[in-house]
Amino acid sequence: MKFDDKIPIYYQIKNYIYGQIITGKLTPGEKIPAVRQLAIDLTVNVNTVQRALGELISEGILESRRGLGNFVTEDQATIEEMKHKLIMERLHEMYENLHDLNVTDDEIVQYLRQYIKDRRTTKDGQYN
Amino acid sequence: MANTIEIENLTYHKNYRRILENINLQIEQGKTVGLLGENGAGKTTLMRLIAGVAKGAHGTVKIDGEDQVAAKKAEVSFSGQLDGFNPSMRIDKIIRFYEDVYPDFSTDRYNQIAGFLQIDEGLRLSALSKGMKEKLVIGLTLSRDTKVYLLDEPFGGIDSMSRKKIIQSIIKWKSPDSVIVVSDHYVSEIASILDEVVIIKDKTIYTKKSAEEIRAQYAEGIEQYYESIYEGNDLND
Repeated sequence: MKFDDKIPIYYQIKNYIYGQIITGKLTPGEKIPAVRQLAIDLTVNVNTVQRALGELISEGILESRRGLGNFVTEDQATIEEMKHKLIMERLHEMYENLHDLNVTDDEIVQYLRQYIKDRRTTKDGQYN
Repeated sequence: MANTIEIENLTYHKNYRRILENINLQIEQGKTVGLLGENGAGKTTLMRLIAGVAKGAHGTVKIDGEDQVAAKKAEVSFSGQLDGFNPSMRIDKIIRFYEDVYPDFSTDRYNQIAGFLQIDEGLRLSALSKGMKEKLVIGLTLSRDTKVYLLDEPFGGIDSMSRKKIIQSIIKWKSPDSVIVVSDHYVSEIASILDEVVIIKDKTIYTKKSAEEIRAQYAEGIEQYYESIYEGNDLND
């Protein structure tokens, strides 16, 4: 994966793992690769991976089992909550961006409806 | 955490020319550090001083609390550009040399790294491509069991695949407690593996900062941050 060098990498690793869990590439109860292996796979510093995993553990997204490694939580509520939080974050970002362009709340809803409609009618969802 | 490298008031002159002036630097145990600065800034000299190869400096360089040259040589792995070896020497002979000279050199570890980087040992030093030579330097340097590893511009003029392999081998074979210092004048390729960035400018340490802090505080890439320092944009804020 390619990192944006302007954003703290531990934060991008967290988002990467959230994404993997939400899209089912990592399933509840699954063991995630060892810290060093993750560092090699992502070409990042081991300490940075450790920081990201440390935060995911304290958020309850991962569970650390002594001597066994780190596992994706099996608590569905925690995963749902994370997904909700992530969606809200993205919406917040979009909302702020549009507001900066003086788009009103009503217009945002209108544009979004139109956008989704256009997306659907465009073949294979390609939209340029 | 304990400092593995401690440099105090280090000044180095050569032929009446100032090369480094009043260097103060502490590197904590376990860190991967990027030593950045333009060509001729003194990166190689600083590495030679840390390794105990260059002599005649004022000030102190301590490795794990020790400032004796012998202690430094035992705890710092630095291969430079293999300048001391005869160009007609075969690679396997150089490896034997390392085995003989460094008691902490692990042939086992070397073979693992050499296998990963696909180093061809039948060749002579002079026959190596730039990329292959860098791989050999990495293999030899990382195969010693020391507290500090110094890699002097390991990515100069090599292709992106070799670069990636070299970066991976740094992550893979770095022990958790050891310090790795990588120098470069082009940053973006190693930015993601760095804990800290040390910038040399005007013959001294301009700044030392955490890589993640640069990203979080300035919303800038390491490359941009480094360039802004060299261009002097930071003088205006």
